[in-house]
Amino acid sequence: MAVISKHKSAGFKVLGIETSCDETSVALLEVRGTTQPPARGTRYAVQLLHHETATQIPIHRRYGGVVPEVAARTHIAEVIKLLERADIFASEKQGFDAIAVTQGPGLATALRVGIEAARTLAYLTDVPIVGVNHLEGHLASAWLVPENREHWRFPVLVLLVSGGHSELVLMKDFCSYKVVGRTRDDASGEAFDKTAKLMGLSYPGGPILSRYAAKGNPEAYGLPRPMIHDPSLDMSFSGLKTAVRNLIHDLGPKVPEVLPDLCASIQAAIVDVLVNKTSRAIMAYKPKCLAVVGGVSANPHLQAELRKAASEHPGLIMLEPPKGFYTDNAAMIAAAGAWRLAQGKKDDWKKIDAKPELDL
Amino acid sequence: MRMQRTAYRVPRNSVKRDGRKAEIRSKEGSRAFVVPEVMAWSGVAEYVSELLRPGTVLAISGELGAGKTTFIQALTKTLGIKKVPPSPTFSLMRSYRLPKTFNGIRRIIHVDAYRFDDERELVVLDLDEELADGSSVLVIEWPEKMPKWLKKKKADLVQMEIA
Repeated sequence: MAVISKHKSAGFKVLGIETSCDETSVALLEVRGTTQPPARGTRYAVQLLHHETATQIPIHRRYGGVVPEVAARTHIAEVIKLLERADIFASEKQGFDAIAVTQGPGLATALRVGIEAARTLAYLTDVPIVGVNHLEGHLASAWLVPENREHWRFPVLVLLVSGGHSELVLMKDFCSYKVVGRTRDDASGEAFDKTAKLMGLSYPGGPILSRYAAKGNPEAYGLPRPMIHDPSLDMSFSGLKTAVRNLIHDLGPKVPEVLPDLCASIQAAIVDVLVNKTSRAIMAYKPKCLAVVGGVSANPHLQAELRKAASEHPGLIMLEPPKGFYTDNAAMIAAAGAWRLAQGKKDDWKKIDAKPELDL
Repeated sequence: MRMQRTAYRVPRNSVKRDGRKAEIRSKEGSRAFVVPEVMAWSGVAEYVSELLRPGTVLAISGELGAGKTTFIQALTKTLGIKKVPPSPTFSLMRSYRLPKTFNGIRRIIHVDAYRFDDERELVVLDLDEELADGSSVLVIEWPEKMPKWLKKKKADLVQMEIA
């Protein structure tokens, strides 16, 4: 493997590129102590050398009004700009030893932008390229926290909760995953956003709802906890959305004055379901570590309730939520890429393509 | 599990609240259904599935919580698709293969335009390209967000309203 770029530090650098849906992000992650791809079974220190995410405006909004080809070119220009700011093209400065790019799941047109940039770089530099599952990236976001790496022991149970996903994943080893529970309809992040919309809260509804909830009484309104008694580890939130819709209809003009109580009750219902299913999963699979990742993992009430649930299982370590890496980003993709490379996985730049329906 | 003392309980199993009305308009005419509860969508799903051909655009309207995704889950089940489609609100678009070709259809493309603020944003989905394979049906939630594109599809349109 010819490494064209010269680097000052003795580490293996993974360039991560993420363009699966709304975010465009680039990161450079250094695996310390080796200039070769990480080896299986070895513990490494890692350092994030660079990490940048482009504007938070959703991808479908950025290029409205232009034809698909122009939109794609504009998106690629954005990726290139991010790469330039990571000093990727200045070979005396940083350089990289491998490329990790999100292959799926996501929007095909958005995924392809990252993949095309990654393939081109792989072709030009002759470094290994590895396609990463975006969901696996979220699992790896927990691994970016140094204390978590200290405590990392398999099996790790991960609650992945975001706007688009709500899953319980059992990690038996790096790159060895079993989805043990998932939402049957709305994701938990979506439940936050849509109930917020029903109450007239502006975007982004989830965090705003959470702030109001902190001042309200979670037992003011008896909202359903869908599927909480169902023995499976699957979840459902669309019934909650309908109940909130009906409740708001009943409250009519009173909604603004009872907003904190409403928000608190909604948040409690969503968190109760998540914590209940996580607890069941802990009892069923007896993991050594518990992690929570994804946009919703930033929710303080969810964090607190999960800690409480984890403390009921002596010996179970609750890993720190990955602050700064909750939402989609390239640092987690670079980390998952390092995992894959350590397992000896890699892809062919000539053949790698988007997989919009990829699953764990 | 915590005990709840509640000041207000949302009435459960209220037929008036759980029930929905579905109206379907297609080349075959107009047809209305009363759906008493969440589990009762299969009859409507069977009727709608017979209206589908490659290139059909099924546009489903209804408020937040009306039952659009729930109906689509019943529809994909009727078509033999094993995977239960979750809500594509954040992903914008998902597609599902039929295990057996039905009426020439091999794939359902499920789009949710909820997050669009402007119709031009759907450029990123490349829908015309997706339908060009000649064996796909497009199901759209929140079609009100893309009126101009749907106008072009008048000949292939099946409209459904859930209230």
